[in-house]
Amino acid sequence: MNKKKKVHLRTVSIAVKPTAADHSFNLFVDAFLILLLVVIAVPLWSTITLSFRPNDYIGNNLEGMFLAPWKWSTAAYKALLGNAGFVLAFKNSFKILVGGVVCALLLTIPLAYVLSIPTLPGRKALSILIILPYVFNVGMIPTYLLVTNLGLIDKIAAVFLPGAISTYNCLIMRSFFEGIPNELKESARIDGATEIQVLVRIILPLSKAIIMTIGLFYGVAFWNDFFHAMLYLNSNSLQPLPILLRNILMASGMNEYVEVSAFGDAPIAAIKAASVFMSAIPMIVAYPFIQKYFTKGTLLGSVKG
Amino acid sequence: MKKQRVLWICLVAVLSLITLPVFSQGAKDSAATGPVAIELWYGAAVTEAGPPPADWVGYSIIKEKLNIDLKLTALPSNESDQDVKIQAAAAANNLPDLFMVRRDVLGRLVGQGLVAPVDDLYAKMPIRTATHYDSVSQSHARFAGKSYGLADPGSINKNEGLLIRKDWLDNLGLAVPTTLDELMDVLRAFTYDDPDGNGKNDTYGYGAFQEINNYEAWPGRRLEPIFGAFGVDGTWSLKAADPGLMVLKDGFFDAMVFLKKMVDEGVMDPNWLAYKKDDFRAAWKQGRFGVMREQNAAFAAESNYAPFDKNFPNGEWIVVDAPIGPGGHASIGPYTASFRIYAISAKAEKAGKKDKIAALLEWMASDEGYYLLGWGVEGVNYTLDKNGVPVADQIANRDLAFTGSVGQTVTQLRNMVFYNGDIELLARYPKYITATSKKEMSALEVLRTMQTKTWTAAIGSDTLPIPNADLKRFYEQGLSEFITGKRVLNRTNWNAWIEQFKKLGGQSWNDSAVAFAAEHGLLI
Repeated sequence: MNKKKKVHLRTVSIAVKPTAADHSFNLFVDAFLILLLVVIAVPLWSTITLSFRPNDYIGNNLEGMFLAPWKWSTAAYKALLGNAGFVLAFKNSFKILVGGVVCALLLTIPLAYVLSIPTLPGRKALSILIILPYVFNVGMIPTYLLVTNLGLIDKIAAVFLPGAISTYNCLIMRSFFEGIPNELKESARIDGATEIQVLVRIILPLSKAIIMTIGLFYGVAFWNDFFHAMLYLNSNSLQPLPILLRNILMASGMNEYVEVSAFGDAPIAAIKAASVFMSAIPMIVAYPFIQKYFTKGTLLGSVKG
Repeated sequence: MKKQRVLWICLVAVLSLITLPVFSQGAKDSAATGPVAIELWYGAAVTEAGPPPADWVGYSIIKEKLNIDLKLTALPSNESDQDVKIQAAAAANNLPDLFMVRRDVLGRLVGQGLVAPVDDLYAKMPIRTATHYDSVSQSHARFAGKSYGLADPGSINKNEGLLIRKDWLDNLGLAVPTTLDELMDVLRAFTYDDPDGNGKNDTYGYGAFQEINNYEAWPGRRLEPIFGAFGVDGTWSLKAADPGLMVLKDGFFDAMVFLKKMVDEGVMDPNWLAYKKDDFRAAWKQGRFGVMREQNAAFAAESNYAPFDKNFPNGEWIVVDAPIGPGGHASIGPYTASFRIYAISAKAEKAGKKDKIAALLEWMASDEGYYLLGWGVEGVNYTLDKNGVPVADQIANRDLAFTGSVGQTVTQLRNMVFYNGDIELLARYPKYITATSKKEMSALEVLRTMQTKTWTAAIGSDTLPIPNADLKRFYEQGLSEFITGKRVLNRTNWNAWIEQFKKLGGQSWNDSAVAFAAEHGLLI
């Protein structure tokens, strides 16, 4: 069956002879994509080579990008991994990531499902109530007061609980749920299923793509969240990676003032680059596994009816 | 059935995740009947080196000797983030007992009645007051006649200098320049007469990059010795007879003309407008130029000097006097006094914690507190040399030494005890023998030499009002366009540009700053 399809495709490609205009267009697209690749790859390569720069390196950043790999140094990575603060911050970020994604999905899925039921009484009013704060944000101080009054200051939950339901993500998910054929839900209800059972047994198994996609959206946001952690967490033992990363990036060349570095012999520029790269690794690793759901999930959520 | 079981397991796991680690609190307050709990938000000495560990000996000593249960929180490393955190806490009346704060934020907190006056504390801290708080410091955080902040000494003043390649001068048979004209001759020779004798046209006279701040506006710190020769170094003149923006003074046009001449004659490293700090520092270590303004440790500290020493074992930089300009002016640049302000919340005062805070700060200034917070535990993090200066090289475990990655965590509060005294500087800048040329170097001696040069007093100029973003852009862009040739630098164009600058808000910026300086006694 597959063989037949391949043969068919090959036949089509031979049959259609590209015109000069096609060639020009392809050339343009290729050039554009190469340019795009360069724009993305150069800063990435610059960061990677910077992170491997030895302490005795002298030269500018451009020259550093072409430094031979056998002259690279892993001192920055060793220093980071040997630093107790970095490991602790990584753990804290992981707690925020897991807690945040789980909490956000547990709250977003039921809300999106409820909003997707056309017969829900007061559905429109509820939607407005949800969209209103999305458009008119209350601001930092009222949120801070709320978090304080809830007793969440200096608790990890304070980082993700205020943003556990993203209106944007909820609306995407609602659109996805609305796209699931109503007949499936109806038949389950006729068989005596409650709404929770419909959600858990019918909707969720069909919604892996959107759950993974929205989970990824939340995950990236929580993993990178600097501001809420800075605002709500006071204990040093709770500081997540973005806070440490910011501190490392703000370190203004300590060698100007003292003879020491918190990270031993590694140059501070290499430490900065290595910490940026390492903090991105979890997301870099996660993306390929979620990519197949990601494309499907966003597309399915965008088309209704 | 199997699916249902899996679902239940997942749900239980999820609930465990949420209820166990996520809602755990970082630290519990001490019991009401126990030691007095004092929450301190401090500015970390080395932001990226983590906080003191939970078992830091300082906690137990402070509890045992002062009956204080100290809770530490490191403030964010960036000043604007610090402001946000403090102002959010202030809005919720949730300020800590003692916290570091910038002066303008402190002013707002004073207006809101959220901080306590500290005038009565100076007498309660005789040791600390003698070393940390002089009259300038005590007036730095004064609002409506009351001091609301303890202003500790900040970074070292006058720690930069004009440096010149002595070996290049010797190679070319030139003397150290003393005037601006002589400097120009040297710059030409460094650019065109092959000072390093390598047969290549690969050197320049003056190296710089754009390093700008509130009191050193464009072209910034690295070119202040040139502008100082015209008496217009820094953003502001704080002379009582002629205060205001330097750009509005006559000498500024002359300084711009001189700078343009340096650029046009090719004696400036042409990358100076594109260089970042690291590029600039890589360039002098590669022997690209022979005159620069540089910071003492960035130049002479062991790790910073090593690449230059390796590349040029016979190379030698010397600190020289600022060149004298046509009107007899000379200056390395403006200097100001920087402070780290610690404030006490009104809440802490109401809770009766003020005296305990004074006791804590005074203990920090005692020998025990000074060494413990400054260098750690003797024998563990440092040893004393024959002159009583803490040194790290006798500590077997390099990580534990106060210069090491672990040792740095226990000295994070050192900025609360340091006051730029001799012991601190000797410990910070030890003498050493360079690896390649085997010469003795000392960043401290370089610092002392730099401090003997002519500087312009501009105390408090970093606290003057700043321009809005549009005006700042117009200012910096306009000046750089005159130098790069996009605008023709002549009197007519200059006067027209100044008029436009004034209309766009430059005049009101000038007037408001002069009024501020007069009100706060900054004019001299």
